[in-house]
Amino acid sequence: MTAIDWTALARRSRRRRSWSTGVLVGFLSLVSIPVLLPFFWMLVISFSARTGGVDSAVLWRACAVLVPVTAAYVALHAFRPWPRSYSAVACLLAAGLGLWGMVGDDLHLYNYRFLVTPNLIEELHGAATAGGQFPWVWTALGNSLLVASASTLLKVTVATLAGYYISRYQFRGRAGFLQGLLILEVFHPWMLAIPIFLVIYWVGLLNTLSGPILVLTAIDLPFFIFIMKGFFDGVPWDIEMSAMTDGATRRQAFYRVVLPQARAGIIAITVLGFIKGWEEYVFVTGLRTGNSYWVMSTYLYYVAEDVMGVDYGVVAAVAVIYILPSLILYLFTQKYLTQMTMGGVKG
Amino acid sequence: MARVELRNLSKVWDSSVAVNGIDLSIADREFVAILGPSGCGKSTTLFMLAGVYMPTGGEIRFDDAVVNDVEARDRNVGIVFQSYALYPNMSVLQNIMFPLRFQKVDNPEAKARDMADLVQVGELLDRRPSQLSGGQQQRVALARALVKRPNLLLLDEPLSNLDATLRLTMRSEIRRITRELGVTTVLVTHDQLEATTMADRVICMRAGQIEQVGSAEDLYLRPETLFVASFIGSPPINLIAGEGRNGRVEAGDQRIETGQDGQLTIGIRPEMITVAETGLPGTIRVVEAMGREILYAAETNFGLIRFLEATSQPRWRDGDQVALAFQPEQTLLFGAEGKRIADHYAKLGVTTDA
Amino acid sequence: MSSSKFRQASNALLFLGPASLFLIGLLLVPIIVDLVVSFTDMNQTIKVDEFTTKQFRKLVKPSEEAWFGFELRSSFYRALMLSAIYVFFTLTIFNIGFALVLALTTTALPGRLGGLFRAIWLLPRMSPSVVYALLWLWVVDPTDRGLLNQILSITGLGPINPKLDAPIMVIVCANGFIGASMGMLILTSAIRSIPEHLFHAARADGAGGLSVIRHIVLPALRWPLSYITVFQFLALLVSFEYIFLIMGPARSTMTMSMLSYTKTLAPDTGSGQYAYGAAITLILIVIGMAVALLLWRLTNMKQLLTQPRIEVQ
Repeated sequence: MTAIDWTALARRSRRRRSWSTGVLVGFLSLVSIPVLLPFFWMLVISFSARTGGVDSAVLWRACAVLVPVTAAYVALHAFRPWPRSYSAVACLLAAGLGLWGMVGDDLHLYNYRFLVTPNLIEELHGAATAGGQFPWVWTALGNSLLVASASTLLKVTVATLAGYYISRYQFRGRAGFLQGLLILEVFHPWMLAIPIFLVIYWVGLLNTLSGPILVLTAIDLPFFIFIMKGFFDGVPWDIEMSAMTDGATRRQAFYRVVLPQARAGIIAITVLGFIKGWEEYVFVTGLRTGNSYWVMSTYLYYVAEDVMGVDYGVVAAVAVIYILPSLILYLFTQKYLTQMTMGGVKG
Repeated sequence: MARVELRNLSKVWDSSVAVNGIDLSIADREFVAILGPSGCGKSTTLFMLAGVYMPTGGEIRFDDAVVNDVEARDRNVGIVFQSYALYPNMSVLQNIMFPLRFQKVDNPEAKARDMADLVQVGELLDRRPSQLSGGQQQRVALARALVKRPNLLLLDEPLSNLDATLRLTMRSEIRRITRELGVTTVLVTHDQLEATTMADRVICMRAGQIEQVGSAEDLYLRPETLFVASFIGSPPINLIAGEGRNGRVEAGDQRIETGQDGQLTIGIRPEMITVAETGLPGTIRVVEAMGREILYAAETNFGLIRFLEATSQPRWRDGDQVALAFQPEQTLLFGAEGKRIADHYAKLGVTTDA
Repeated sequence: MSSSKFRQASNALLFLGPASLFLIGLLLVPIIVDLVVSFTDMNQTIKVDEFTTKQFRKLVKPSEEAWFGFELRSSFYRALMLSAIYVFFTLTIFNIGFALVLALTTTALPGRLGGLFRAIWLLPRMSPSVVYALLWLWVVDPTDRGLLNQILSITGLGPINPKLDAPIMVIVCANGFIGASMGMLILTSAIRSIPEHLFHAARADGAGGLSVIRHIVLPALRWPLSYITVFQFLALLVSFEYIFLIMGPARSTMTMSMLSYTKTLAPDTGSGQYAYGAAITLILIVIGMAVALLLWRLTNMKQLLTQPRIEVQ
């Protein structure tokens, strides 16, 4: 056997290692820019646009600060000569100072005045057009909150109960129920928009907030039941059995012992359900709720349609306010959401 | 095919220290076992040898060259995992041939078949791993590790998923095969019998550090530390802790002569104790039949002391009075830090308290 | 009725009752309603005067030469082709291709860094659809305000109007940026569930990064990949929300589901041809059934139907 040149191999490995991480990070940053940049632009517009126009130079100047800082942070992160928290603080500081210097003078909160001025949109676009009379934004926010919370509460409760029952109980038709659910899961809500509209019309719930709430509850249900079934399947039988030998009834065992074990699942579907209800557009307009009630999706839609040419800044600011709750919720519960996906899909 | 040397090797995970500066050298063609309880850093050491984990500090040398930065794929090591880690989507033959894909070899299939014959899975080549028994999977994993003629063979608890009888056969099988190929081998195990029966040398680890290196006999008869003494041997060694005063440890009217003062621990293996006319008085409390031997535990002033007798029928019953004797040179004496005090033995003396 | 029988019935009612009510009332009944309505002349007034097949005759016409004796009418043929193109490209490029690339690359990076990029790609999915569509409108704005045009102007190229010149590309990208994240998540957790020892074994056996992907990762992704393909195929086929919000009722992106939406419920433009929309929906439902059967084969029924171990009610 010929002697192995270990030194050369080590050198090659070192080179390969530093290259591969660099190439991967570079590639991912490149493809992620198109996803991130529009969101960032919206933010910039909302804080910098003045009536009549958008100064896009602000965007590029802000990018000129943030891109190097982010790159530096990633580099520090990857090679870690310092403790992580120091580099984070240093980068935040650098970004803050840089932004202050480069674009500080262009930033203002004027576009967010719609939060405190009830008639702002009416004043901006003059005569009412397609959207009708615009209310104060808080009305729309309130209605969206109502639709999202009510439908979330309903579907989480219903899906949890059903998920537990099909996971843990033997009953006649269990196989049939599961197979039926599997078929229903395929039917994307949008597909059934027309017949659902007709059903809601016949029960007389067009033009109400209850219509979209009920429909939103139903359309995610098969998926959510599967997610919860997956989580309940993962709870060991032993703890339920021991609860029952300790004197609990089956329902008490469910409530006190099994349910807390499925917490992650409940959080996941609550967040998903809320974000879905918060963003709903198709059914809110389709079921004619928009005729009587404003929700955030229709509010933004018509603000964009009516005011866009006049005032980009206000449109962007409304969009930022609209996206904020979803974003915050998502950021705080990210780990639950990634846990859930496979649980639901595995079936 | 390779000498291996570890110098002050350590591995730190986020905040916990898995391996804390170990030094070790392994001779070419030697078979060593790393023995220790779970969490002692033995598997981490093995994975660092394999190149799967990167050391935090220290050096790994193959034939005097530092290989810390050499990736696993270039180190030419074979490894058998506890779970065997066979590729589920490949047949047995494909599994064994897999390492040869990455080397320029003539007729890889013939090589793989030869290796399969050596580990006696020649008839199973078309099966999938899921269709094999545990012992067969183990043999396939061994063949896959050996087919490229590695510099170093690493075995990570290879027998722990097998049942007791199969374990016995695989022990000697692995020994036969590695000897036949003359490959340097490192076995990681928590099973002392596995380590002592298979390896030329045993390395006993604890909490990321090496406690003792030696032959099976060294570890059993001459443990350097209290930990090694108590970890090796089944049933476990009797340990009597006490304060040495005037060269003896006393309990009630009985005393053991130690010739040493201070915090002491006296260790006596159960099979070194016999029942005699005179000795340490005790009352039988436990009688356990273990097949060819009987294990007793007698209550004495120094606590419960276990001893073995090689009979098939119990000679003593619960409550019987016995006198326990042992040869001074068969006892071990440990000081305050748990290190063995080499030149001192414990002697037994019984006073009747005048 | 014995007490155990009673408990059984009351349990079923408590746990399964609400779900059944919703599922039957708002999913099962609509499917049947659609089946019936598609054979009527229902329009804006939501009244049924006669049962007829004329909705389907708007989609196809009898023809001597064509296969099965029917020929697709041009507007429907166009919608079908647009759907096919849109679904094919979105699915292959983003929902599968990019999802796979993202899953492979982010799992190859150290934990947090990979998670950061996954979080970025999930951002569009978590944003309200109207906001997301608005962003796209700003990106593809034909004036020099559009983000795309700003970038182009730096490179010295003139402004373009993607909505007019490359409408399919716009909707493929807009849906793809969202679609990729679902596959990415499923594939990421599939990669994560591969035993770590397999990777170590492959490395020690001499495999490089690409060989590990080919021999260890891809074989383990076969099942999730086919699941994503089937599921996302249908999701894309019936999707119209983003297309409508970005493109409006433009002819250039009038896919099948857009056709049925714009003729019925779409705000401002919907003209209430419910029976016509229902007929198109019926075609989608039939495709959906086929997909469900396919999905059925991909699902581990035995695992799904594991017997419960407590018999007490």
